[in-house]
Amino acid sequence: MKSGVLKRLLPFLTLFVLFISLSIASENFLTTTNLSAVVRQTAVINIMALGMTMVIIAGAIDLSVGSILAMGGLLGTMAMEKGAPIPAGVAVGIAAGMFWGFANGFLVTRLKINPFIVTLGTLGIVRGLTLIISNGLPVHQIPQGFSYLGEGTVAGVPFVLWILLLCAAGVHTVLEHTRLGRYAFAIGSNPDAAYYAGIPVAFHTTAVFAICGMLTGLAGMIEASRLMTGQPTAGTGYELQAIAAVVIGGGSLRGGEGTVVGTLIGAFIMGLLANGSDLLGISPYVQQAIIGAVIILAVTVDELRKRKGV
Amino acid sequence: MLLSLEGIQKRFGGVTALRNGNLAVAAGEVHLLMGENGAGKSTLMKIVAGMQAADGGIMRWQGQEVRFLNPSAAAANGIAMVHQESLLAPHLTVAENIFLGREGNSFLVPRRRMMEAAARLIAEHHFPLQADWRVERLSPAGKQLVEICRAIQHGSSLLIFDEPTSSLSEAETQEVFRIVATLKQRNVGVIYITHRLEELRALGDRVTVLRDGETVHTGPLAGLSRQELIRHMVGREVAAIYHREPVAPGAEMLAFDAPGLSFTLRAGEIVGLAGLMGAGRTELCQEIFGVARHYHGALRIAGAPRTIQSPGDAVAAGIALITEDRQRTGLARGLPISHNTTLASLHRVSRGTLLDHPAERRLTQDFIERLRIKAESPRQLAGRLSGGNQQKVVIAKWLARQARIFLFDEPTRGIDVGAKVEVFELMDSLAREGAAILMVSSELPELIQVADRILVMRRGRLNGELPGRTTQEEIMKRATFGESEQAIQ
Ligand SMILES: Nc1ncnc2c1ncn2[C@@H]1O[C@H](COP(=O)(O)OP(=O)(O)OP(=O)(O)O)[C@@H](O)[C@H]1O
Ligand SMILES: [Mg+2]
Repeated sequence: MKSGVLKRLLPFLTLFVLFISLSIASENFLTTTNLSAVVRQTAVINIMALGMTMVIIAGAIDLSVGSILAMGGLLGTMAMEKGAPIPAGVAVGIAAGMFWGFANGFLVTRLKINPFIVTLGTLGIVRGLTLIISNGLPVHQIPQGFSYLGEGTVAGVPFVLWILLLCAAGVHTVLEHTRLGRYAFAIGSNPDAAYYAGIPVAFHTTAVFAICGMLTGLAGMIEASRLMTGQPTAGTGYELQAIAAVVIGGGSLRGGEGTVVGTLIGAFIMGLLANGSDLLGISPYVQQAIIGAVIILAVTVDELRKRKGV
Repeated sequence: MLLSLEGIQKRFGGVTALRNGNLAVAAGEVHLLMGENGAGKSTLMKIVAGMQAADGGIMRWQGQEVRFLNPSAAAANGIAMVHQESLLAPHLTVAENIFLGREGNSFLVPRRRMMEAAARLIAEHHFPLQADWRVERLSPAGKQLVEICRAIQHGSSLLIFDEPTSSLSEAETQEVFRIVATLKQRNVGVIYITHRLEELRALGDRVTVLRDGETVHTGPLAGLSRQELIRHMVGREVAAIYHREPVAPGAEMLAFDAPGLSFTLRAGEIVGLAGLMGAGRTELCQEIFGVARHYHGALRIAGAPRTIQSPGDAVAAGIALITEDRQRTGLARGLPISHNTTLASLHRVSRGTLLDHPAERRLTQDFIERLRIKAESPRQLAGRLSGGNQQKVVIAKWLARQARIFLFDEPTRGIDVGAKVEVFELMDSLAREGAAILMVSSELPELIQVADRILVMRRGRLNGELPGRTTQEEIMKRATFGESEQAIQ
């Protein structure tokens, strides 16, 4: 029993130990500037990973989030360039993300094609469309105030952290306290049993993809705000980081498992590893290898825990 | 002794599955292993078959103390097991599953020879299977037959059958008995787990009874009365014979009409549906429930025509289907018991759009007590329950839904004697409260006890209706032969 609790707390402990070690190893770590930077850097992946958590719990996967992030950021900034007020621009970015999430869900449920294949396809389609729309050129004419989204501070804390916490609370509530969340778990755990229980499986799967798209659109706007450009090439490879965060946090690619808290920890572990390597002067090449090893390690520990039946 | 187990112990986290498992089998002996759901029967046998490691106790195989670390070690020693929950590879064919892991030593798999050998094995036992069928398409009964073929083809010296007949109908069950008799003649040891008390009385030599993980009785089967056996299993006196007093049927709840297959269900009625494996009973349930259309029948619910195109429609119309295949369509194994129980009735445990977790736990706890589900807490994962307790969770899901029309497809599959009576009592009280029940069962004595009248299906058509108090022979006759053949009989 005792060891069971210990193992369940392992992700927390890892994060904690990592945090302490970095504080000792580098004096530049425990500074407001550095910690805000970590939060701002991880917020984008984190918000995407929240949506990915829902998708993975529902037994699916979304490989297209990196492309959707770019299109959301691009369309949102283009709207602002054309004179839309900042909130409207952000809304455009979120709506674009939601549209593509919906499209993914629609294709998965109506054509009954494997989500891996569908989103591998939309990964290419959305990226291509984004490049076509922008002609491959970034959007620069953005109102100054927009930078507040990614770089502003509220009550001494980065604004994005508030947004992240709000999104996390929202996704947690949906997953643990609503029918949509419950059905997502059921669909991911055994889609046939969910169908035989009379659950509208297609509707709820689509809804989960749409929410993931929405969050990705928001993440796209934050990324654009931090760069103060609408980059058609933004977000390349982010899907793998988002998936890694979910998996490190205990989500299972077999569906039916995953938590918001786990995902947050997963994303922060990866964020700290990257930040720590930077501070300690470890090359980005080595960083990649370290993060890869951490993913395998985390999943191995998780599998062992499950097999022990605690 | 071929195999002897002494003081075997096994814990899963906080659950003690076995505290003192003792059992001894000689070559050429048919040994029954009995006990309530969750008593530890499957766990004990999985330890013998090398699928789980014991925490304590001694296992002797042909006199030598052994400990099998994996299933292939047990197989190499001549132990084979027919599993309670199918452990087949769904995407492979029947033949490939039968020979999986035993393809021989050559680099290339001898496909042709495997197919032929499998076909011969199937034909020899008259099983309704084809060697090249894909296993995922098979019903639970079909999968069970594949498991049996797989276990017997190897020439093992000990065969363990874990509830092999729980989803089989009469003809296949008789064939399983024949297989056991042949094995006995060949001096093979057989351990046979079942909840059907009368099963194998003729064949069984000795019986071991487990209760709460402990061997409480072991001895010869001859002279042991049904009552004594039940007392050993349950630890107290229970009335294991159930008799239902029919109530006067009320208004028509459901009417189904297809060529050669028309019937009605009325409020307060329990209607039995009998037939051989492949007679089309499950297909009928699936059609009414909106899963698939086999018969293209017309449906009336409470007197009004209604089309049902999905389980969602069916549930909205007040219909519940307890499917025969709990692993595939009944249970979300990775989710807690509570999630499974309320899956079809979340509206009952919601306040507005939010779920009311305490209410959900209370509802689940209520069913855990009513159905005597052996579980630690409502939070326990459903897949960690014993087979019979999993079935009870599936039933709880539909009781929680408070449906009006119940289609029970093999509802007592794998459920122990005591719980069976409880399920019957539940069905009876549902009927008394005005529900209509269609009960598919391959266990004929059970149908005769519970049903007010019995429909018999044969090859996708109704082949007669019998009163509740009929005999097994009457049912079998209608299930097996057409009208003209019956006359000759
Ligand atoms: N993998 C597991 N993890 C946790 N508990 C388990 C696991 N497997 C079995 N158990 C528990 O061990 C106990 C014995 O289970 P077992 O499957 O051996 O029962 P059984 O006698 O075969 O019952 P049934 O007649 O229902 O098949 C049960 O309480 C069950 O919940
Ligand atoms: Mg069992």
